[in-house]
Amino acid sequence: MLTVSDLHAGYGLSEVLAGTSLEVKAGTVVALIGANGAGKTTTMRAISGMLRPTKGQVLLDGKPVQGLPASRIARLGLAHSPEGRKVFGPLSVEDNLLLGAFRRLPRFFGFHARAARDLDRVYELFPRLRERKKQDAGTLSGGEQQMLAIGRALMAQPKVMLLDEPSMGLAPVIVQEVFRTIRRLKQEGMTMLLVEQFAKQALGVADYAYVMERGRIAIEGKPADLRRDERMLAAYLG
Amino acid sequence: MTLSIIAQMTVSGSLMGLVYALIAYGFQLTYATSKSVNFGQGELVMVSAFVSLTLITLGLPYWLVVLGGLFFGALLGLFVERAGVRLALEQRSEGWILLTIILGLLFFSVAENVWGRDDRPFPTPISQQPIHILAVDVTPVELSVAVGVFAIMGAIEIFKRQTLLGKAFDAVSADRDAGELMGISATQTVKLSYALSGVVAAVAGILVSPITTVGPTMASALVLKAFSVAVVAGLESGFGVVVVGMFLGALESIASFYLGSGWREAPGLVLLILALAIRPTGVFGKTLIRKV
Ligand SMILES: Nc1ncnc2c1ncn2[C@@H]1O[C@H](COP(=O)(O)OP(=O)(O)O)[C@@H](O)[C@H]1O
Ligand SMILES: [Mg+2]
Repeated sequence: MLTVSDLHAGYGLSEVLAGTSLEVKAGTVVALIGANGAGKTTTMRAISGMLRPTKGQVLLDGKPVQGLPASRIARLGLAHSPEGRKVFGPLSVEDNLLLGAFRRLPRFFGFHARAARDLDRVYELFPRLRERKKQDAGTLSGGEQQMLAIGRALMAQPKVMLLDEPSMGLAPVIVQEVFRTIRRLKQEGMTMLLVEQFAKQALGVADYAYVMERGRIAIEGKPADLRRDERMLAAYLG
Repeated sequence: MTLSIIAQMTVSGSLMGLVYALIAYGFQLTYATSKSVNFGQGELVMVSAFVSLTLITLGLPYWLVVLGGLFFGALLGLFVERAGVRLALEQRSEGWILLTIILGLLFFSVAENVWGRDDRPFPTPISQQPIHILAVDVTPVELSVAVGVFAIMGAIEIFKRQTLLGKAFDAVSADRDAGELMGISATQTVKLSYALSGVVAAVAGILVSPITTVGPTMASALVLKAFSVAVVAGLESGFGVVVVGMFLGALESIASFYLGSGWREAPGLVLLILALAIRPTGVFGKTLIRKV
């Protein structure tokens, strides 16, 4: 569903990604883990078009998308829930969710009725969002904002979802809730690339995992194998 | 007696002030999506008014003149975005300031060459005969300014609140990158905002011209006051520009009555200086207007 080969990208003259390759098969959850500054966020940004790759290929459902504007890639079915959540603070919770479905909805009128079923589904997943649907997204707590960011990505009915550190800065109970949600989405068949610092939990939900070091994939494999890998044990799971 | 004169001046002045408010509203539209404004907005008002005048002399019915004027305004807005703003924004530079000023100068000399330097009357089917309401005389043309300004601002506000595209407009102004991730093209949204601000400029031109006449120099006089209004009201609140615009219009008309018409421009300038000195962020908005 998502195939990345030999991706190079960076900021200005400094190259951060020096040939990253990874694959996310349809219906699987793939974890991308690694130390702070390894280049995980940069990888996601280069895939979704927020950052223009300097070299390499990104195939979304078989179609090359590298170099396209982020909005085009999003309309082709990639939903990227970015690091730091980036909800639309001055807009209401419900407007945030509706805009998540922008690619599928009529631009002028009737969009609310068309989105009703998907809204219900997100509200069922995150009941707290329903309670706060009229509230400005900027007034939500960090955990609620994260749920909104995930819900907004779901509204797109994407082919692939990229989640960048959904647990960042959240209290342990909320982190558990986020992982429960990810597990449930996986059961429903969502294809997902998950970036996490919590390597143990990420390996717990993933079907496959990549470990990134200084802009390259250093280790990859099934979670069960990675758990036995000595380099992994030393660096990430100790 | 003086009270009724003041009432008269306040009413006709504040109706005129709505035109300043509308032009300032045009600044707000593009600032929201791109953090840029067209410093040549006054020339857009003037050129659209001249184009509408040409359509009138061609004998088109008034509604078609209005439609044609608005359409042309939208095209001019798109042109300014393409030629003056987009490249600068892509480079994350502030080159748009200089470029939009230069485009304004260009429009000015084009207008001088195409339509001449003289001020010309702008015929309108709306009556110029004053009608007496309570203690003041207003002409239907003056009233049409209020109707037109509230109609176009109301339509745009409804668009922003009730349609998904309008919400996307707000989303881009809140977080451009996140908007892109939802599939909302920031470039298209900025284009739309410039087209809308061109439409708004054309409406201002068509509404004000029957009162002031049309001429190349109308641009600078109008845009300076619109700036005063935008600086005082801030670049976020549509309600703010209406209030401040009406206030400034009334002040102007009272000043020119009591102090002489040479003083007409003074309140706008004083207001601008005071506003920049006291509250560089605007009375009604929180945006920092660091670029102005
Ligand atoms: N906007 C930016 N400008 C310049 N350098 C950046 C920027 N964002 C990240 N970097 C650099 O790129 C490297 C990888 O960062 P990032 O992809 O955010 O890592 P991770 O998500 O794995 O923590 C780091 O060295 C970081 O300093
Ligand atoms: Mg990161």
